Amino acid sequence: MSSINQIPVINTKRGNPLSKVFDELVRFCRSRSLFILHYCTGCGAIELPPAMTSRFDMERLGIQPMVSPRQADILLITGYVSIKTLKRVILTYEQMGSPKYVIGICSCTVNGGMYWQSYATAKKLDEYMPVDLYIAGCMPRPEAVIAGLQQLMDRIHSGEANSWEDYFRNYDYYLGNQQKLFGDNWQTPTDILTEAKHYNLMGEGTFGEHTRLLEQHQKPLEALDMRLGNNLKEPTE
Amino acid sequence: MRPENYEAQRQPPSNEYELNFGPNHPGIEGNYALKVKLHGDVVIEAKADGGYLHRGFEKLMEQRLWIQNIALVPRICVPDPSPMELCYSMAVEQLCGLVVPKRAQWIRVLQLELSRIAAHLFTFGGHAATTGMYSTMYWGVTDRDLLLDLFEEFTGGRVYSIYNIPGGVRRELPPGFLLRVTETLDYIESRLPDYDNLFFKNQVFVKRAKGVGVMTREQALAWGVTGPNLRATGLAFDVRRDDPYQIYDQLEFDIPTEESGDAWARTLVRRHELMESIRILRQVVDALPDINGSIRSPIPNPLAWNVPAGETYTRVESSKGELCYYVVSDGGPKPYRVHVRGPSSMHAVQVLEKLSVGSRIEDIAQTMFSLDACPPEVDR
Repeated sequence: MSSINQIPVINTKRGNPLSKVFDELVRFCRSRSLFILHYCTGCGAIELPPAMTSRFDMERLGIQPMVSPRQADILLITGYVSIKTLKRVILTYEQMGSPKYVIGICSCTVNGGMYWQSYATAKKLDEYMPVDLYIAGCMPRPEAVIAGLQQLMDRIHSGEANSWEDYFRNYDYYLGNQQKLFGDNWQTPTDILTEAKHYNLMGEGTFGEHTRLLEQHQKPLEALDMRLGNNLKEPTE
Repeated sequence: MRPENYEAQRQPPSNEYELNFGPNHPGIEGNYALKVKLHGDVVIEAKADGGYLHRGFEKLMEQRLWIQNIALVPRICVPDPSPMELCYSMAVEQLCGLVVPKRAQWIRVLQLELSRIAAHLFTFGGHAATTGMYSTMYWGVTDRDLLLDLFEEFTGGRVYSIYNIPGGVRRELPPGFLLRVTETLDYIESRLPDYDNLFFKNQVFVKRAKGVGVMTREQALAWGVTGPNLRATGLAFDVRRDDPYQIYDQLEFDIPTEESGDAWARTLVRRHELMESIRILRQVVDALPDINGSIRSPIPNPLAWNVPAGETYTRVESSKGELCYYVVSDGGPKPYRVHVRGPSSMHAVQVLEKLSVGSRIEDIAQTMFSLDACPPEVDR
């Protein structure tokens, strides 16, 4: 059984005089080839096909949709997230490889928008995961979406878009808000605490009362059993 | 996930397994999921799993003023929002006894039919993408954008127009607008032969869609199917003709039907409907300059508007099917109860569950997109 501790950590800060140039190059390339995980959480998803297709053409900026979270760089939250969706969004976010960026499209991700009274939606997205960029509007036009993405590209290039580290550094805060919604025994398949220790991304807010609660409830995860128990035939081996 | 989780458990061999199809899946329309039980790649059982887009509309509408709800209702169905506004406005008009001026009724039909064309083009795009024909998706979405430009010009909003209010419409048409409508219609009509060659007559599509998700007319009636999906089984029922609202009884149009009731027939009905919508719009464009008068009848101060007590039921034909509102007023400034009967909640739950059984897993997307279900409307 492989473990996270066997994955080598490459320390890039070694005092190499070329490391600055290399980092700059990496950031440039990173900002020019972004894959969007297009998870249609709400109404804003309807302005993305126009932004992707030939009229506004996101692809000229090097941005493409991607169906699998593990290959995607950007998580686009297009509109209100109901509680049921938010669970999936958090699972998806934690599965994405770092560095990862979150964009909240539509007013609903900022403060609840039209549904500020609703019993079923989560109001502020940045209570549950760090958000790099908001594109406000109900719903924002494709031009606004593209302008927002360009701003994100600039921020990645200049090295400012580091909110994904925030999730590790302030995990206690985010976990606390998640536990408030989903109950005390909320647990995701991703072990953020071990990852934070392993990659040395710990901050003051990584551990706290909520992570202690998580450690109490945490059960070892089992592989998904994809079969139905009832009408199975006995194995013939 | 932790690398530990990749360790596969040893299981006894079996052909049956369960698969979560969605909510983040390109073969599913929007934020919606199916739990399917498979034998090999043949579906034995499908269970719809909605609720990802639930916002509690019917409760929210009880907490807002009659006029505030106009901004809320189009959000129920995102690709085709205009019938939502109209149906709610019609319900309030019936409760208050408001008479809508003739010109407003014609403008409403203009808006409805433009919205229908936009919704159908979007559906064709999504449906083509599930068969791997991405160029049709690019065409459909881009041509739909021309209609959104028209919407922006006369209502102010690209997607959500919020243009109908009880008593009429909010703004007069801008000068020269009808000319631009004609230009856009001409363009879309000239594109349709290209669509035929690329998509509707394409053997890739025809062979994938023919014989998939077949339902008979009796089944369709028993399951509450409406709209193009019902007409694809050969029954020519359309609210626009059989229970006319606004000025549809003064317009000439046909109800296209198909006999086979499969995914191919449903898509073809929509394609014929697109032509009928263009035909209706041409009549509206010809007639509108001669119809003068106001565009809305006066309503009381909307912030202190007590709608008389009573209940009403209105229905319109949206691009997805029959859309109905049941509105109850207790004489107060807010609705007492609003119930929305959306067409997609039947199509995406009970019909999709039954039609998927027996088909292969790659045909679920065909069935779902040909039913043209709209997940935000299912969950509301």
